[in-house]
Amino acid sequence: MTSPLEARSLSLDRDGNTVLDNVSFSVAKGEIFALLGGNGAGKSSTLLTFLGFLEPSGGAVLVNGKTVGSDVASARSAIAYLPEATSLYGHMNAYENLDYFLNLAGRSATQADYDTALDRVALPREARSRRLQFFSKGMRQKTAIALALLRETPILLLDEPTSGLDPVAIDEFHDLVKDLAGAGQTILMVTHDVYGACQVADRVGLLRRGQLVGSFAAEKGKRIDTETVHAAFAEREAV
Amino acid sequence: MVSDLLREIRFLAKDRGALFWLALAFVLSIIAVTFGVTEVRDQQRTIAELIEEDTADRANALKGQEDWGGAAYYAFHLAYAPPSEFAFAALGQRDSSPWKHRVRMLALEGQIHQADTKNADFGLVGRFDFAFLAASVAPLLLILLLYDLRAAERTARRHDLLVATAGSSRKLWLPRALVRVLALSLLLLIPLWAASSLVGTSGSVIIQASFVLVGALGIWWLIVELISRIDASSSVLLTALIGLWLALAIIVPALAKVAIETRQPLPNGGEMLLLQRETVNDAWDLPKEMTMAAFLEEHPEWRDHAAIEQPFEWKWYYAFQQVGDLRVKPLVDQYRAARLARDHEAGMIAFLSPTSFVERSFEKLAGTDAASMIAYEDSVRDFHAQLRAFHYPMLFREEPFDRNLLEDIPGFVPSR
Repeated sequence: MTSPLEARSLSLDRDGNTVLDNVSFSVAKGEIFALLGGNGAGKSSTLLTFLGFLEPSGGAVLVNGKTVGSDVASARSAIAYLPEATSLYGHMNAYENLDYFLNLAGRSATQADYDTALDRVALPREARSRRLQFFSKGMRQKTAIALALLRETPILLLDEPTSGLDPVAIDEFHDLVKDLAGAGQTILMVTHDVYGACQVADRVGLLRRGQLVGSFAAEKGKRIDTETVHAAFAEREAV
Repeated sequence: MVSDLLREIRFLAKDRGALFWLALAFVLSIIAVTFGVTEVRDQQRTIAELIEEDTADRANALKGQEDWGGAAYYAFHLAYAPPSEFAFAALGQRDSSPWKHRVRMLALEGQIHQADTKNADFGLVGRFDFAFLAASVAPLLLILLLYDLRAAERTARRHDLLVATAGSSRKLWLPRALVRVLALSLLLLIPLWAASSLVGTSGSVIIQASFVLVGALGIWWLIVELISRIDASSSVLLTALIGLWLALAIIVPALAKVAIETRQPLPNGGEMLLLQRETVNDAWDLPKEMTMAAFLEEHPEWRDHAAIEQPFEWKWYYAFQQVGDLRVKPLVDQYRAARLARDHEAGMIAFLSPTSFVERSFEKLAGTDAASMIAYEDSVRDFHAQLRAFHYPMLFREEPFDRNLLEDIPGFVPSR
């Protein structure tokens, strides 16, 4: 069966530097795969190749079995993307942002749909008509996730999704991500948060200086052991 | 596409920065158009007053005359170029070239070029009319509306999210920029259309002017689009675009003007005026036969009536006036040809500068370009020739003075 997301011997050079070196992985339908790595490991670049913003110098990235480079628009239409710094428009309120971005994606929704999505991410009702410039980072992140929900794409790419969120918001976010995966959404997240990755992911890959140097899978009904991954992460980073 | 445009219209309606520049464009357009309409109405009022005075003054001057020579000498005749119904949008050469004259049947060229010696400051700095707004200010406003569409999103780290959500860059940037270009065009054009309908400008002129403006903004949009694809900060892009605007709007036209003026030297009006006056003044001291011989080369039909027997005869007086015109004719021809050549070369250079192109196109549509002003001067010469054609038979055949025939003196009929 075709994996929704697959990297095949992916290599990427930028400005003469090797950013990714022969990275291979795939993410199955309904699976949460977390790529762990330090700064400059190539995590965000991996996501950007799936979105067609960066062209592989070797290998290929595939979305729903099709090489991204052959049909970027089709790949993007299958993906909802949450960048590291979710910068929705500060001068617009939550509804207006959802309306704008959803329309940009070629979709439409009703006010009730917006409220359902915002309820699901637990954004307080009284905040929804306020401009986002007055939102906390967590509230902005929730709005962005609501957008991803409304887009109903089969794939979700998350770049450091819990960075800057408070612990309660992180727990809420993890629950939501698991719900989405349970509903069949394929999720690839990149993070440097070992604990968070082990909490939520079905599999964790360790990325170091552009190379995939380790992989850990959760046993059925259990979480990935944080200590093991942390030790491996620390050991690899120390090399 | 319609859905994309509606989305970007809603987005623009919330962008206070862009709304400010658009509002400014609208206000500036109203100011430019109001100024133009006021100026044209002043000129029309001036012409109407002059026409009224002209008839009364001439009747008064002719009242006490007893011969044809005196009647020709004392009667002034108004000649004028009425502003076109689109002149309010582009005052053009009407600021620096004379558009009204009071001529007598004396030597003409001095009377035409006398006005050239007046201070033509406005010809140097230009006026804030719609043509200036469309040619020079509108591109700046467009640059301010478009220069950081991409760069601002990059700075806000929203670029990738936007493009990834849109699926393609084109689906996002094209409608976003198009809405701004169309909004700017409309806000500039609405006051122009309103004023045009007020003064009765023809539909075809309005359509052509609108095309010129939208076309020029389209070219500037292309320039901004190409520059803003460079992966640079907003401030770098703005600096580059303003530099390009300076080059295309100021430096290229200024250098071109210097080059054209060097290539096509122009005798000034004062030179012609002086030469003609010297010729006319010298004629008093020259043998009358010499003057008449020169005159008869131009008018052989009066050979049999050209004998001058008295110390002063009007036909001799008017003959040496015309000889003054003939003497200065090579300079006049050179002046006219050089102005046309300059205009032609400026037209070629205008293809390098959208600013010059728009300004010239508006002046052409408004009939305020160099060619139109030269055509007006030619019409004054034609009219003066009609005056001579009326008076010469009376003077050379020494017809008895008949006050009733004064009704038949030709009047100036403007070309439009």
